[in-house]
Amino acid sequence: MRKSFITGIALVLVLAAGWTAFSGQDSQYLERLDNWAFESPRRPGAVFSHDDHIMDLDDDCSICHHVYEDGKLVPGESSEDYYCSDCHGLKPAPDNSMPLEAAYHKLCRDCHFDEGQGPVLCGECHIKE
Amino acid sequence: MQSQDNTMTDPSNETKQAEKAKQKATDPAIEAGLERLTPERIKKTINQVLEKETGPRFKAYVETCMRCGLCAEACSYFLSNDRDPRFMPAAKVKNTIWEMLVKKGEVSRDFLREAVRISHLECNVCKRCAMYCPFGIDIAYMMLLVRRICHKLEITPQYIQDTVNSHSVTLNQMWVKDDEWIDTLQWQEEDAREEFEDLQIPLDKMGADIMYSVIAPEPKFQAGLIYQTAAMMHAAGIDWTMPSTPGWDNSNMAMYTGDNEISGRIAKAFFETAAKLRVKRIVMGECGHAFRSVYDMGNRWNSWVMPPFEVVHALAFYHELLTEGRITIAEKYKKKVTLHDPCNVSRGRGLHDKAREVVNMVCEDFVDMVPNREHNFCCGAGGGVINCGPPYKGERMVNNRNKAEQLAATGAEVLIAPCHNCHSGLEDIIQHYDLKMEIKFLGDLMYETMEKKIYKPGA
Amino acid sequence: MNSFIAFIMGPMVWISAIIFLGGLLFKFIGIIQSVRSKEPYVFSYLTVKHSLRSIGAWLIPFFPKSTRLSPVYYGISYVFHIFLFVIPLFLASHIVLFNEAFQISWPALNDGVADWLSLAVIAALVFFAIRRQMVPEVKYLTSGSDYLLIFLVALPFITGYLAYHQWFAYRWMVVAHVLSGELMLIMIPFSRFSHMLTAPLTRAYMGSEFGNVRHARDW
Repeated sequence: MRKSFITGIALVLVLAAGWTAFSGQDSQYLERLDNWAFESPRRPGAVFSHDDHIMDLDDDCSICHHVYEDGKLVPGESSEDYYCSDCHGLKPAPDNSMPLEAAYHKLCRDCHFDEGQGPVLCGECHIKE
Repeated sequence: MQSQDNTMTDPSNETKQAEKAKQKATDPAIEAGLERLTPERIKKTINQVLEKETGPRFKAYVETCMRCGLCAEACSYFLSNDRDPRFMPAAKVKNTIWEMLVKKGEVSRDFLREAVRISHLECNVCKRCAMYCPFGIDIAYMMLLVRRICHKLEITPQYIQDTVNSHSVTLNQMWVKDDEWIDTLQWQEEDAREEFEDLQIPLDKMGADIMYSVIAPEPKFQAGLIYQTAAMMHAAGIDWTMPSTPGWDNSNMAMYTGDNEISGRIAKAFFETAAKLRVKRIVMGECGHAFRSVYDMGNRWNSWVMPPFEVVHALAFYHELLTEGRITIAEKYKKKVTLHDPCNVSRGRGLHDKAREVVNMVCEDFVDMVPNREHNFCCGAGGGVINCGPPYKGERMVNNRNKAEQLAATGAEVLIAPCHNCHSGLEDIIQHYDLKMEIKFLGDLMYETMEKKIYKPGA
Repeated sequence: MNSFIAFIMGPMVWISAIIFLGGLLFKFIGIIQSVRSKEPYVFSYLTVKHSLRSIGAWLIPFFPKSTRLSPVYYGISYVFHIFLFVIPLFLASHIVLFNEAFQISWPALNDGVADWLSLAVIAALVFFAIRRQMVPEVKYLTSGSDYLLIFLVALPFITGYLAYHQWFAYRWMVVAHVLSGELMLIMIPFSRFSHMLTAPLTRAYMGSEFGNVRHARDW
């Protein structure tokens, strides 16, 4: 029973490796986000295609470049002239309920989960350099 | 030992012979008992014990053991048999009660023959392994469960079963008759009076400070020990008594065969005897298993968390006599002595440090054996093993090699063994391995070295 | 696929955590009730003082004699158990996820350090497996389930290690990592992994018997 279990696991891993190898859907517009705003980042900046997102989101910049006032989303307002870190501080504080790291993670990953597509696991964005 | 090679060779040689001895040692009680068994009875009995007589404790032991093997180092049988895995504590469990549990009681006669051997002859229930298991799993408890099952299947080895039969009929271990008991005490009193005028062994003295109790082998063939104690009691001016009626014997072999009903009866009769005499406390001779019976196990069967009387083992009593100055040592014992810590009073009651103090007060030259105190190796005889009788002596000696090596390494001339079972077993070891050691009870040395003053009331 | 990942990293985490903690709690209550009804004498002897004395003595490295007789196995075992808890609890990636879910955070291990510690855990498990083959008395006791337990513990560490390095099949490696971690949590109450609960209990009882009745040490 133990042997078949181990064999099963091995088989799954091999298949998975193969599937990943041939299912590359890399965009030609990939760029790595600059993570200068973080003091001592543990991971390399996320890999990301701005162009693909513009297309997929029908030029609605405000979906990502949002504006919140008093904790409420202001519809129609967008903030592409600002850095994310202008609003999102590094450390959680009473006036900073969404620190920078969590802001990025939630913005990207939650949308990818909701849309059922796009990377959601750590290493899928923070690809090793 | 002079030789660099510290491994002891069995002079009469050897493992092969022991194997032969094993094959020959067919026990008529076991064989006849196995003949009577039907698969239904085996299954029913095992499941009854496992379901009704065990509970979460056994379950936790089975579920917790991670098979790490650390218990192996604890066991004299494992160490004496060239680290044969079959002798490690966990293996004994695996080959007995785990198998019974897994097969839901559907085991064969051959399996049971092996289970009797393992539980009765290859484990002294000394609980050393409980100290070596990181989880404190009590393997001795499980071996006693196996013995309980064997008892209910009536396949207990013949000799030890006979002692239980004696307990059942006479309330003593060796078929000592009521008048024989009183005669023996009077005979010892008479002899002692030649040395100490007015010495008495007071029988049934109501309200005495101390009831002194012994095991049946003392009146049967070691009456001199009673003499020695009487001499100490006299010299120390103790208000003591011994019971003339059944209940005087504190030994309890039924405790080791899993005959819990008789075991409980023995302990109950013992405490009732003390209660009838309205004594303040009970002092007992140098016996380990008897101490376990009345201090640890017999009381529990009778629903006392702790014994209803203060039970004082001889070691603690000697300590008291010496430190209170009731007995003074005339001249210390000269020979080089070593001390064997019996499991039931050391690991069983922590008397090892007091024992050392006594030995140092009585003897000039004391050398410890290694390991010692709670970690001392078992004598190999206790837990009912020696009581399974002469047919098994050959293999017992093979299983005691480790103890022989430990004794030899001390270089002592005299071995003090303050427990009857240990004493008998160690005597066999000394003889078999030709160790050139004398063996004594601590009481022997107390008596030999003490100021033999004659007690005068008020003086 | 994303919804599957969302499930195993969301509700499934809750399910396995509840089975793990609830299972252990249920087991503990079961033991206590069973002791009450079948073996109430256990409570007559159990004392807090002697239980803690015994458990404490066995937590001090190389203090019990038994542990000094098998120093290599014991030493590796000791460190293994510490790492087994420290690595997952103080791994930066885990803390980030925890923080995003509950807004609670605590200091994390340096990733490089955690990486080496994981290797150490895997090495310890390999050692345990080899020891089961090499040491006769351990081999005698060993059965398939012992290797299965080793494998179950090894799996989250191996997959976690490989996933961190992103060498191949990253997505599948993380999925395997999450699932094997959850499997291990779920298995704890139902396997001998439950010694994380029962071992302190058996130790406490033996420690109480030794300390309270026997007036002797059990280490």
